[in-house]
Amino acid sequence: MHEMSIAVSMLDGVLQAAARAGAVRVEAIEVEIGAMKLVVPEALQAAWEAVRADTLADEAVLKIEEISAWAECRQCGRRFEPDIAYSFLCPDCNRADVEIVRGNDIVLKSVICQVDRDPSAGEGTEA
Amino acid sequence: MKKINVVESVLQANDAIARDNRALMSGASLLSINLMSAPGSGKTALLEKTLPALAREYACAVLVGDLQTTRDAERLEELATAVTQINTGRGCHLDAAQVAEGLRGLKLDDIDFLFIENVGNMVCPAAFDLGEHLRVVLLSVPEGDDKVGKYPTLFQLADAILLTKVDLLGVLEYDIGRVRDDLSRINTRAPLIELSSTSGQGINQWLTWLGEQHRARATPVAIGLKDD
Repeated sequence: MHEMSIAVSMLDGVLQAAARAGAVRVEAIEVEIGAMKLVVPEALQAAWEAVRADTLADEAVLKIEEISAWAECRQCGRRFEPDIAYSFLCPDCNRADVEIVRGNDIVLKSVICQVDRDPSAGEGTEA
Repeated sequence: MKKINVVESVLQANDAIARDNRALMSGASLLSINLMSAPGSGKTALLEKTLPALAREYACAVLVGDLQTTRDAERLEELATAVTQINTGRGCHLDAAQVAEGLRGLKLDDIDFLFIENVGNMVCPAAFDLGEHLRVVLLSVPEGDDKVGKYPTLFQLADAILLTKVDLLGVLEYDIGRVRDDLSRINTRAPLIELSSTSGQGINQWLTWLGEQHRARATPVAIGLKDD
């Protein structure tokens, strides 16, 4: 159940982004979860619903996109998509000695929110 | 409605602390090892054997992660230069901030090996970089010979794999060939060391591996520091 600590970190990122944008309410968030992190989407949803309470994001919908893992062979450099439930064997050199180069992270992609005023309508725009 | 593109790692706070931990430990020329396994696979028993043997040549410290109780830390207290207990409460894994807190209580320059005994769990600890140099995964004979195949992502990232409690091989039905076969697909880099903390079998091979890793690390770090 590391989903709970991930949900807590997600909420931190969401609330910081919301504050920077002057949001009054967060409607939804989009998160990419890498396959190597072994996150159970249903468990992350449940954890998210628990941690978002009493915040700007208390009804924010969590949209999850799962990212498959890619491995790079340390022996021959070949990049391939391993079946992580079964094998990390390099298709070229037949050794299982890899660096995970994709699908090893959890990324907050975007926060969809309501703002009390559009910051871009004021003086200057936010980067 | 406004869509804010964020694109930041949810784990970035953890990973930033992990990088600091690693830099701090590398700077002190100590080698840190994250021990991961299911509960009851013999992490503490292994340390009970390992620490007195290493003490002849090295100063060792241990950070012990546990949900509750200080039992593991108490078992190790007399055997290492410093033993720090980290109670994770309901947390099923250690994180980099907890390790950073543990490091603050240690005189890193006086330590050669830091063992980080993670919470017994084969899924969650793998998701969190602690800043350790090496990851050692244990599996014990009583857990069954299908463990590697069941938890490939954990075994994939191991720098060494220890098959513990091999003194029970004659007692329990266990096919080591199955473990080796699974590892031949999942991790061919990490050595598989078969050992028993009870009989002492394989402990020397484990100690030799530790010594090699310590020597291998000490040299490049010293060169790296000169270059900086």
